[in-house]
Amino acid sequence: MNAKAFKALIAMAFAISATVVPISQSFAAGESLGKSCPTEGVMTGTKTTSLICVKGSNGKQTWQRVKLSAGGGRPVASLTPPKGEIEFWHYRPEVLDQKALVEIIANFEARYPGTKIKQVVKDTTTFNATARVQILNNPKAALFATSRGFVFDTFAKSDMMVDLSSQRYVKQNAIAKAMFAGVYEGKQLGVPYQYLFNNPIVNTDLWAKEKWTTPKNLTGWVAWCKDAKAKGYIPFAWPGATLGQAAQISNSALMNSASSYAELEKNLLDLNSGKTDLTTSWFKGVASIYVKLRDAGCFPENPTGVTQNAAYTMFATEKSPLLPIGTFAMGDIVALNKKLDGKMQLMSMILTDGPVVAEGIMNNTYILSVNKNSSSRDQKIANAFISYLMTGPVGQIYANTSLQHVNVLDVEYTNVNLLTTSSFQAKNTMLAPRFLLVNGSVSDLTQQALIAIVGGKSPDDVLPDFSKQIKQKLAA
Amino acid sequence: MTQTSAPTIATRNIGAASRKKKRDAAIYYLMGLPAALLFSIFYFVPFIANLRYSLTRWDRITDPEFVGMKNFVNLLTNDDLFFKVLGNNLRFTFLVVLFQTVFSLFFAILLVRNTKFNILLRTLYFFPTILSSVSVGMIWLYIYDPNYGALNLFFNRVGLEAFALNWLGSETSALYAIAFTQVWFHTGQMIVIYIAGLQQIPQELYEAAEMDGATRWQQFKNVTWPMSIPTTVVVMAYTTIQSFRAFDLIFSMTQGGPNNASSIFAVMIYQTVFNELRIGYAAAQSIFFVLVLVLITLLQRKVLGSGKER
Amino acid sequence: MIYRSTRIFALTLFAILIIAPSFIVTVGSFKTTSEVYTKPLSLPENWTLDNYRYLFEVSNVARPFVNSTVVTLSSVIITLILASMCAYAISRMITVTGKILFILFTVGLAIPGQVNIVPIFILFNDFNLTNKLSGLVLINVVTTLPISIFILTAFFKELPKEMFEVSQVDGASPWRTYRSIALPLSRPALGATSIFLFVITWNELLFPLLLITDSEKRTLPLTLLSFRGEFFSNDSMIFTALMVASIPMVLMYLFMQKSFISGLTAGAVKG
Repeated sequence: MNAKAFKALIAMAFAISATVVPISQSFAAGESLGKSCPTEGVMTGTKTTSLICVKGSNGKQTWQRVKLSAGGGRPVASLTPPKGEIEFWHYRPEVLDQKALVEIIANFEARYPGTKIKQVVKDTTTFNATARVQILNNPKAALFATSRGFVFDTFAKSDMMVDLSSQRYVKQNAIAKAMFAGVYEGKQLGVPYQYLFNNPIVNTDLWAKEKWTTPKNLTGWVAWCKDAKAKGYIPFAWPGATLGQAAQISNSALMNSASSYAELEKNLLDLNSGKTDLTTSWFKGVASIYVKLRDAGCFPENPTGVTQNAAYTMFATEKSPLLPIGTFAMGDIVALNKKLDGKMQLMSMILTDGPVVAEGIMNNTYILSVNKNSSSRDQKIANAFISYLMTGPVGQIYANTSLQHVNVLDVEYTNVNLLTTSSFQAKNTMLAPRFLLVNGSVSDLTQQALIAIVGGKSPDDVLPDFSKQIKQKLAA
Repeated sequence: MTQTSAPTIATRNIGAASRKKKRDAAIYYLMGLPAALLFSIFYFVPFIANLRYSLTRWDRITDPEFVGMKNFVNLLTNDDLFFKVLGNNLRFTFLVVLFQTVFSLFFAILLVRNTKFNILLRTLYFFPTILSSVSVGMIWLYIYDPNYGALNLFFNRVGLEAFALNWLGSETSALYAIAFTQVWFHTGQMIVIYIAGLQQIPQELYEAAEMDGATRWQQFKNVTWPMSIPTTVVVMAYTTIQSFRAFDLIFSMTQGGPNNASSIFAVMIYQTVFNELRIGYAAAQSIFFVLVLVLITLLQRKVLGSGKER
Repeated sequence: MIYRSTRIFALTLFAILIIAPSFIVTVGSFKTTSEVYTKPLSLPENWTLDNYRYLFEVSNVARPFVNSTVVTLSSVIITLILASMCAYAISRMITVTGKILFILFTVGLAIPGQVNIVPIFILFNDFNLTNKLSGLVLINVVTTLPISIFILTAFFKELPKEMFEVSQVDGASPWRTYRSIALPLSRPALGATSIFLFVITWNELLFPLLLITDSEKRTLPLTLLSFRGEFFSNDSMIFTALMVASIPMVLMYLFMQKSFISGLTAGAVKG
């Protein structure tokens, strides 16, 4: 046997062993292929070597190889771009995101000399208001990112995104269930890159110090709030003055407000189209959750005047043990108070006393798309860059630098904050429901109604009033 | 000889004069043309275009759809927000004009003499005017913070907790809090205008009044106030236009919230375009904006006269 | 007695109202964000220049600064040229055209450019004038022409007729008269108007907000606003940015108070 063939044989052996024997995977005791498992649906991670608890045809639950990607098999390498320059339009000017992207783009440009990517970044509000028209008139903007919901939908309606359904990296490199956020009318018009958890984050030190345990239902949360308040804390660092952030907690409230995801989805879609309004018994139920939490003292004083900055400060200065925002706030919190690095954990917020549909919320956003109006060469560059981002090592740089989880397989989370929270990926999470309200006016007005209720108003006054406002907006 | 040539010279001069007049007129015309042209293209043409857009329903994604007067009818009959914003804007403008005028006149009277001390204070009070409204908005957003802001901290410390309101987060106080900021912003500028006007009032009038035994208040009523009406006209007109530009302030502080309690015309129009993607509707709202402005200007004219009569 | 004490009380109160916020912000720019919230009224524990360093190194605040300067200078100069020519023409024209022109601009004064945001937005987008500093200059010039022409026309009208009669006899053209007589005389008015325009344009938010989305082309007020983006929380940075954005104005104000004050109140006071 010559040297070449021998090398090939070793490589093949290595490859085979790698798939059969997990190398860098730390499983909890008992979590190995074929062994029985307690809870159906729970995963051990997002590696191609991860396991999932599956109920077999014989009724037994065992750990099986998880098939996270749509295509199965190993992730593919990134595509080679042609030479040229394109613009990458997106809405994350945050320091850490920039740090990550600048590094990644530099690496990409070094690897492919002659190919350049220029970032065009705007803050979310400006982006949502003006980017679509700008990009429509600018073929150089071959690559852009949109947020799930209203923005992605509006862009999709403008027929400006290339269908990526047939791309191999879509099938092999991504977590399949996270791809739905980028599908429009059956076509994969974008790749959702960020994997967010819009759950409350808690200060683990404080919770340990006060010997609190995770409340299991609405009654439990009410009791916890009362206790926390009595001990001098502000239970929820909730920013009622910044609508986008005040709305995060609504995901937790909505998550278990109906008896199934299908029913919840129907309720929200009907609300969005105007078929129903805010005075349905379902929504009254959601409102009553807010009333209970408000009356238990969960929210800060003058809640509708608390800005995002004030809320973050409450949490960072440990005046408040819980920040009902999400994992993407962690970076800013650490910047405010280094002490909290690694001391933050996601927490399930189950706000019902009835049956539980989901334990937590996740969202897939920062949907990367290729501009249909760009030249074929520019489209190739954009597509190549997306495929580059969708490889494990690159996804790793992005995740660990920007402190966010990504929708890419085989990413090694090294940051302590991401690690402590990545266990949430294994929980029973629901795709953030509030983004089903794709009509901007309906979504905003619904949130404003809930904010007004927290501010002290009674649902009996608020819900009919805002229902009328929604009706007028939809009619015009 | 001279008798026959004089009329010829005269006619030649008249001919030359009228030719020069025509040339001059042409040159004046040319001098005014660039400004007039620019203004017409970028002010009046858009103005007319606005009328056209207001008759459509358009989201800038699909093609515009002609709907006739539907937008206007809807605004007047099925849009509570429109009337809310109209009410807000009128209230805001009225309060700002009232208080800014009263305060600036008051302080102008206190500082009318050109002493070093007075000039120093005038300079101090004038300072906010040079800041950008975004800066002013951010400063006051911070001061009005209900839990951390300097204002409520102050009230709580001196035992006036009842005054520590949720300034920008409460529907009842948001508009007024912003109005106060607007007055804070520009009163200094109006003080200076008033002082210039007050300093033109002849001293003799005051001396005569004092000899008659008039009190300070009577002096004000009979001398100062009547003589400063022209200045008041200017101050009020200026303040009115300025109050409509409070878009910058409101946008950086509350974006019109909570629940549109602090929204004025410009804010509502902006949101209709960018948040709701309803171009035609926003154009219709703009037309009403113009009508309101014209009405207010005419009203001010009527109440105060053009100020030139006195 | 009542007058004296009321006077002192009122003046002090107003002075505090101006000094206190300025103090809080100035001092706040040297604090960390948590200090800004937990101890707003006190001096910083450690005077830190981190914010300033960050602003200049990472945030690249130099760019918006340059943009603001370019846009403002260009707008002011162009407006002054066009407005003074037009104002002179209006003040000297005997025909109806002069009156019509004046009414044109009076309408522009009474009804501010804000009413046109919808068509301007569409127009500028269709003609690719967005995200261009030249587009900003254009709309700035258009919106400030009315007030400039108003002020300068009033000024030119007050110049004594004798001066012009002299040059009339000489047979000079209006342009000549304008250049050699009217313009030199109008330096104070031009100076006052330029300061007025400078402040308004430097601090303008609405049109940049509408037309500029490229972060490279932002002006200072837009940059300030972006510091309060939905997912960015750093109040002490905002104060620092605020300070930096205001410093040119503040310095100019301190050294040229008289001109500033007379400039920003120009046209409001006659003679």
